[in-house]
Amino acid sequence: MKEPTARSKQTDANERAPIRHRWTAQPPGDGDEALAGALLRSAAAVQPFGTKNLAEVAARLRTRERHLSRRWAWQVAIAVGLLLFGGVVSAAVMHFLRAASVGPALPDAPVSMPPSGPVRRTHAVVAPPPAPVLLPEPSPIARVEETPAPRLAFRGATQESLEAKASLEPPLALPPNPSALAQESRLLAGAIHKLRQEHDPGQALAMLDEHRARFEAKGALEPEAKVTRIEALLRLGQHDQALRLLDGLALTRASVGREMLVARAELRAEKGRCGAALNDFNSLLAAEMPPDLVTERALYGRATCRAQMGDGPGARSDLEQYLARFPTGRFADHARTLIGK
Amino acid sequence: MTLVRSDATPFIESPSGVPDLETLYRTHAPAVARWAAKLAGPLVDVDDLVHEIFLVVRRRLPEFRGDAKVTTWLYRITERVAQESRRKDRFRRWFSRARHLEIERTTAPPHLTPLDEVERRQSGATVYRILDRLPAKYRNVLILFELEELSGEEIATLTGLNPATVWVHLHRARARFIAEMKRDSGRST
Repeated sequence: MKEPTARSKQTDANERAPIRHRWTAQPPGDGDEALAGALLRSAAAVQPFGTKNLAEVAARLRTRERHLSRRWAWQVAIAVGLLLFGGVVSAAVMHFLRAASVGPALPDAPVSMPPSGPVRRTHAVVAPPPAPVLLPEPSPIARVEETPAPRLAFRGATQESLEAKASLEPPLALPPNPSALAQESRLLAGAIHKLRQEHDPGQALAMLDEHRARFEAKGALEPEAKVTRIEALLRLGQHDQALRLLDGLALTRASVGREMLVARAELRAEKGRCGAALNDFNSLLAAEMPPDLVTERALYGRATCRAQMGDGPGARSDLEQYLARFPTGRFADHARTLIGK
Repeated sequence: MTLVRSDATPFIESPSGVPDLETLYRTHAPAVARWAAKLAGPLVDVDDLVHEIFLVVRRRLPEFRGDAKVTTWLYRITERVAQESRRKDRFRRWFSRARHLEIERTTAPPHLTPLDEVERRQSGATVYRILDRLPAKYRNVLILFELEELSGEEIATLTGLNPATVWVHLHRARARFIAEMKRDSGRST
């Protein structure tokens, strides 16, 4: 006779018993199951896949077109971002390793090395230096501008300071502490992990504070840190602080993104600053309006602001446009009620 | 529930013996969309997901010989595509700055949306955060039982599992869900 496996032993007979009552069918209460039922009920309702959705997807299937241009854009953007980030990090690491291995030879590198970027630095160190001749033309700065790699090295430096530095050091010297970027990116990655993986915005903020204390808003990744801080504040419900930061950002449709812009507009509207909110909503809706959630939120938000500012016809026009574009949208029922359809 | 009963569609009996995509789509797309929405959670675009699922269906239709029930076959495809979509979404959210849905979840202005709607959406997000910590086999069975309100037998038919296994998974899923829910509420307080 076959011996029961360890697993089947563990499987208690009770576990095979049918479950008669769903948690979602339980009346409200304080017990674990009632709480779980209440929680699950909130997720049970999904928007019905209506005739319009059916027709749209069917049309896409028939034409074999994949309506996934946004996804492609995302994938390309992520790939490019990763490549750039990887390039910067590996350049910093390589430079650090090279500097560590070369040691004191670096200060002796000739000022007159060929104007072709930091990669030639090795040649300058390895090859016996020719007589040091300061090259007036092109200036080191002009050469720096032609080469993309050392951009971070001169972040925040003035032309005068660079020229003064060029007379003392090799013209394409990288920052004094090349591992700073690695430290900074480690801190920021930690904050993002806390925020999005562990859903702990408080800890994320603490790490961002540490980032700010160490890099004093001069870090290479400061813009990313600021956006992450805004997200953490939003998650903590600290809308005032988030709005203060967002107000300080020069947001455009193409800079930090439409999502930040619509978030700022909504927060401004929330604070009763409908004029400023309208500017953001208008900016979002000025050019092309992809059929996405941002457009949906912006249209509805602008309608609300216009209504609050007494622009009834404008609000009505926005609501009608909203219903035309998002007939099954999240605010569709409310919009229909408002315009009496 | 209708999804299992709708398995009695006549498309397998089509003259050519090969399932017809249009009939299949017309008959099952609403159920597939419902499963997809519930399996993938609130952060996923259901239209895109249904499109992807039926692209897979079209590609694999010639291989389908009717060994399994149509709904079981469709459900398996839906489960895989939804899982892949959740994985991609996690990746995207990790690397993306523009986490519009996350931001939206936290910034939906109270005067634009009724408060209870905001609370409902936040609860929905909490449910999926907890569900995502469960192993897929438990997670999906719990979703089918509690959110899709299928019976144990219907779940067994749909997933191809033994009915006894369904109950075992469900008991364990419930225990894990309660434990994770407590952990979650402990962390959020």
